[in-house]
Amino acid sequence: MPLIIKDEYPEKLFREDGKRLDGRDIGELRPIKMEVGVIKNADGSAYLEWGNNKIFAAVYGPREVHPHHLAKPDRGVLRVFYRMATYSVFDRKRPAPGRREKEISMIVADCLEPVLFLELYPGTSFEVFIEVLDADGGTRCASTTVAALALADAGVPMKSLVSAIAVGKIDGKIVVDLSGVEDKAGEADLPCAITWYNEEISLLQFDGNMDLDEMNEFMDLATKSLKKIHQIQLDALKSKYITLKEEETKEIEEGVKEGEK
Amino acid sequence: MEEEEKTETEDFEDFEDDESTRDIVIPGEVLTEDIKNYLPGRGTIYNKDKTKIVSLNIGLKQITKNYINVIPLRGFYTPRPGDKVIALIVDKNPVKYKCDINAKDFGTLKPKNTIKKGKIKGFRGSGYSQEQANTEKFEIGDILVVKILSADRLNKPELTTVGKYLGKKNGGIVISIDPPKIPRVIGRNGSMIKMLKSLTNCNIFVTQNGRIWLKGDDIVHERLLIESIKKIASEAHTVGLTDRMEEFIIKQKKKRGII
Repeated sequence: MPLIIKDEYPEKLFREDGKRLDGRDIGELRPIKMEVGVIKNADGSAYLEWGNNKIFAAVYGPREVHPHHLAKPDRGVLRVFYRMATYSVFDRKRPAPGRREKEISMIVADCLEPVLFLELYPGTSFEVFIEVLDADGGTRCASTTVAALALADAGVPMKSLVSAIAVGKIDGKIVVDLSGVEDKAGEADLPCAITWYNEEISLLQFDGNMDLDEMNEFMDLATKSLKKIHQIQLDALKSKYITLKEEETKEIEEGVKEGEK
Repeated sequence: MEEEEKTETEDFEDFEDDESTRDIVIPGEVLTEDIKNYLPGRGTIYNKDKTKIVSLNIGLKQITKNYINVIPLRGFYTPRPGDKVIALIVDKNPVKYKCDINAKDFGTLKPKNTIKKGKIKGFRGSGYSQEQANTEKFEIGDILVVKILSADRLNKPELTTVGKYLGKKNGGIVISIDPPKIPRVIGRNGSMIKMLKSLTNCNIFVTQNGRIWLKGDDIVHERLLIESIKKIASEAHTVGLTDRMEEFIIKQKKKRGII
């Protein structure tokens, strides 16, 4: 007899002191940690912790397209494989890719394609593997963010990075970065991504109820948060090289001290 | 061994030891908004309104004259005609060899490109080479030094083993590093590679596709050399690397008792 637990959501998504259930303000993000170069055998890789989300991304390419009939003679193809671990959600996630995985793979690929120069690599493919180890709302946005980071780490020429975030409405208030509970129990949910080259919107999905004025407010709020996420991405990429530099300067200083002695 | 990598001057310009050019930039980062005085060079692009120059790669910003370049720190090897690379034979049939050259496509080596053409000197009459053009010269798994005859975006690169320093390699060790870091292993005007050779007594052959062939007197020297090359690759973006590596090797030699 399987254990059946009903999905129960709290009636109120705001605490009495006006903060959200996890103690955040309306425009506050969950804590984000990014790292690049975590998978040794991949051409480029990145790891992201965004609240309770834990996501790995690995990039391989340019390499031969397999199956071969997917290859295009005039341009390369970007293939994204979004997968969730069986233990990433509360119920066991069946490991076979379903409708949802295919959709997210497609939107991440479409979202990243405008920043790449695929026409320079005809007949080849870039493959991005996204593995969600732990999921708690907003994995499609987090996946887009981490996939862009892994592509940059692989040395693929890009016009710019891509950042993504979900904005939503819970209990009549507009908030950024919805967590799992807020996503399910809230009224509206709007994931959006931006390519920083020319600041164009690369992804916009919508689910729920809201009017046009609210939509504008959503976008203003999203832009502010996206800038913060972009800064974290920059720091993550640069820190890989800057930390190395610092270690060396320390070594040199120590060497000088030894020499003096 | 007889090999000496004759290095092209073009590659050394990539990594100039100038402190002011050592900014790490990432894709999409604005390099300058002063478009009147600067032009986009390698690894850079204008934005749509032509008001800024942005970077395309993760790399080091460099200004030469009025061009802004970005020297990539990560990336893959793109074959160019004339490059000498280390290839591994992965397959063969009576018509051609298939070679792994660390690029997106396998290179093809045709048997006619493995034998010397033309008259043999010192013979009278029909002094043409008697060698048959077949694929029995090399075996699967052989390591070759090849030159790239033709390479473009669409077709598979074509290779040749006829020429100076080219042909099969017997013995030695092949290691690979990131292709963009190869210029750093060679150093400016070959300074780094000369230093490595003289200090470790090893023969080194560095190729553009990120593979390095080396052979020394004993395994101790070879190990030290491999460690040094890995260290160079991991610190490729720093300043004053040659001096620091020299210090490192001398220190390690004392530590390991090989002088």
